[in-house]
Amino acid sequence: MTDPTTAETPTETIRDLSKARDVIVCENVSKWYGDFQALDRVSATIKEQEVVVVLGPSGSGKSTWIRCINRLEQHQEGRIVVDDVELTNDLRNIEKVRSEVGMVFQQFNLFPHLTILDNVTLAPIWVRKKPRPEAESQAMALLERVGIPEQAQKYPGQLSGGQQQRVAIARALAMEPRIMLFDEPTSALDPEMIKEVLDVMKTLAESGMTMMVVTHEMGFAKEVADRLIFMEGGQIVEQNSTEEFFSNPTEERTKLFLSQIL
Amino acid sequence: MTGLDSSNVSSTTAGGQPPAATPVSKIAPPVTPKLSIWEWVKENLFSSPFNCGLTVVTTVILLAIFRGLLAFIFNPVRQWNGVATNLRLMMTRAYPEEQYVRIWVCVAVILILTSLSMAIWHAGSALSVSEVGRKLLTTGTILVLFALLAPFSTAATMLWLLVALVVLGFAEFLRRSSRGLEGQTISTLTLLVLTLSGLVASLWVIPYGHHSYIPKRDPRVLAEPGTVALSTKLPWTLMLVIAVVAYFTGRALRDRLPANATRITLIVLWLLAPPALLYLVLRDPAFDMNHVATTDLPIFAAYAIGGTALLSWLTRPSTGELGRIVSAIILLAGFCSFLTPMRMIVRIDMLALAIFALAAPTFSGGPRAQKRYVASWIGLLGVMSWLITAINTPSTVSVPGGFFIGGMSITLMVAVFTLVISFPLGIALALARTSSMPIFRLLATWFIEFVRGIPLITILIFFSIMVPLFLPRGMHLGEVAAVIIGYVLFSSAYLAENVRGGLQSITRGQQEAADAVGMTSAQKTLFIVLPQALRVSIPPLVGHCIGVFKETSLLAIIGVFDILYIGRIVIPGQTEFMGSTKENVLFVSLIYWIFAYQMSKASQRLEQRTGLGER
Ligand SMILES: Nc1ncnc2c1ncn2[C@@H]1O[C@H](COP(=O)(O)OP(=O)(O)O)[C@@H](O)[C@H]1O
Ligand SMILES: [Mg+2]
Repeated sequence: MTDPTTAETPTETIRDLSKARDVIVCENVSKWYGDFQALDRVSATIKEQEVVVVLGPSGSGKSTWIRCINRLEQHQEGRIVVDDVELTNDLRNIEKVRSEVGMVFQQFNLFPHLTILDNVTLAPIWVRKKPRPEAESQAMALLERVGIPEQAQKYPGQLSGGQQQRVAIARALAMEPRIMLFDEPTSALDPEMIKEVLDVMKTLAESGMTMMVVTHEMGFAKEVADRLIFMEGGQIVEQNSTEEFFSNPTEERTKLFLSQIL
Repeated sequence: MTGLDSSNVSSTTAGGQPPAATPVSKIAPPVTPKLSIWEWVKENLFSSPFNCGLTVVTTVILLAIFRGLLAFIFNPVRQWNGVATNLRLMMTRAYPEEQYVRIWVCVAVILILTSLSMAIWHAGSALSVSEVGRKLLTTGTILVLFALLAPFSTAATMLWLLVALVVLGFAEFLRRSSRGLEGQTISTLTLLVLTLSGLVASLWVIPYGHHSYIPKRDPRVLAEPGTVALSTKLPWTLMLVIAVVAYFTGRALRDRLPANATRITLIVLWLLAPPALLYLVLRDPAFDMNHVATTDLPIFAAYAIGGTALLSWLTRPSTGELGRIVSAIILLAGFCSFLTPMRMIVRIDMLALAIFALAAPTFSGGPRAQKRYVASWIGLLGVMSWLITAINTPSTVSVPGGFFIGGMSITLMVAVFTLVISFPLGIALALARTSSMPIFRLLATWFIEFVRGIPLITILIFFSIMVPLFLPRGMHLGEVAAVIIGYVLFSSAYLAENVRGGLQSITRGQQEAADAVGMTSAQKTLFIVLPQALRVSIPPLVGHCIGVFKETSLLAIIGVFDILYIGRIVIPGQTEFMGSTKENVLFVSLIYWIFAYQMSKASQRLEQRTGLGER
């Protein structure tokens, strides 16, 4: 069992990522919904083990972008390369990328007809072709890690929102992805449950997972992110290291956004 | 997998646990005060002057209807003898009496499967004693009404009132004695077995009379006083014993065997039972061993060996695009085989192999998964070959005229076959109608709309008369088989629409979650979309099943001797029972109702059970 998260143990919060490999490369990615341009020449590179937080007002195209990276949406122009695989219409490439990239949704999207354990083991068994006992022990280890092993035999409907989102994270991790995408993972949660999910994400980041996170949790961004990307109107307005981004943003629009949100 | 800092995890566990998961609430919920019967009646039936009026009027109307019905049933002019004498005719038509053990074997197999399933799926629930008391109280009240309203002689009325009073007294005793012990319960299964035992015991004790219709050259009616014939009460007693024994065997096995494997085996047995019972047990084919050895076995062996090789290759995860191309070619070859003359079984096997080949990548995996897939292919092939051979072999059971069974048996047979075949077909149609491939969508839509625009009776007539004419030379299809095919097409179109309703209820988020973990669209459909869609469609699907079951009575119009036809035409045709149509039809309706009501109850239980996973 090769586990991408064991690659390197991080020592400090400030990491030297300059020599790390590029795992996500977007070059001038554009996307239209009908006449409406949702992404406008988005270019960004994300390095291995990097944690990038994407900020921006509602409707700025954050979800659209992050969903293009595992091909839940199709981009129409530009290039997206994930782990050296370019996303085209080729089904095999899409399958390869999807098994490398885990995704966590705002609405959890757990499978309500399956137990928690089955939710986590389904894909490893049928997509990764793992024997069931192995998949189950791995799933139990993951549930242990997100702190809810005792719920394994329950159904999603019997869990709180925070617990469901942690199961969703475990489900994504069970595929042993190299990259994790989070689309507003805490936006559908009651305030008292946000922390338990953010804590899990924090430990995941510390373990060296490459992460791309859309969130409005500024505390999380400041503490965990290596880099911030600010989007508006389908464009990347500004991207910078966390410290620089908060202490002296260059763009007017970023300043305005920060003044509203902080 | 290691990597996350363990100290962090424990802090998450300790701090992040919502209070809901920890057992804090030890306080019992507030008890809702139970209303006494009079309070309940007052609150619900006589709360306002209008309500009072409504209650009184409705009660009077209901009593009048009840009384009218009883007056009809117990009118001395009624010829219930017609039903009593012709029970065997109504159940199986002219199935030979000396072969009747075959019928009992079928009943036994179905009962064994039912009992095993009840044990394995934990059927039944606990009923509190006071609840049982309340139910008996209702029964007693109905009995009192029955005794008072039925046109009995004074002596009979007194007897029935006595019975009712005993029931009421027992009910009240249960209610009172359970006051102190709230937790005392009794299993619904125990109650069921007690009731059935009572019924079976009554066969030995109560003088229902010994009736029979003997269809000789000049038919004779046998009606003797006493209990029912030994050939009735003995098998039923045995059946009850078999069912109970099977249940306890199932209970004993339940904890020793792996749950999933047992359940899948049972489902497979349920699917195999109808054709196997019909074609192997009831029909008793006279196998021609020579033909079997020279034709059937070689074909089976060829497909078994070739299929094993092909499927072992296809289920290897490394087999890529080439596998799909090969599977598609086999499918095409399967369809093309209909253009040239050859044995039907060769074509059917080819199509089945193509379907297995196409599904292979979904089930690919390690050596164990591969072996399991190949084994299921050989299993299916074996069963298919065996059945097709049995179907093509002449029967040794000689039954005059028409199909070899009739009455209730053919009603059940047609309903079961139609439903079992039309379910996968209907699901496939629904998937095709919602698929992203325009050609599938178009074909499915046309088919569904076409079939739904035609009355069922037209389809049945068309298939019974026209289809045998259109068949290629050398291929024979019995009339019943032809009609079942027509019925299957009709049923699958309606099923497809019910399932489509369920499919539309699946949110996009579910599909995306499945996509995001890399499932293929077949896996997504099989594991995510269909289970949820079917669960949502349970109520309309059960409604459809009940409809299909009841509408088998239309078969009478094309000359199949189903139970309604026998009750309506055949029995009144016997000189002794001319003019007994009303009684027979009432009895037949009662039988239909019992079955339909059981299906409806089963659906409610199924809904409650599967509701567990609901959000
Ligand atoms: N399926 C769709 N069809 C049409 N317009 C869409 C669709 N999805 C998103 N959009 C539009 O694209 C823009 C970006 O959406 P989104 O990426 O969801 O924004 P964000 O996640 O930043 O709030 C919005 O204006 C939204 O209305
Ligand atoms: Mg969004």
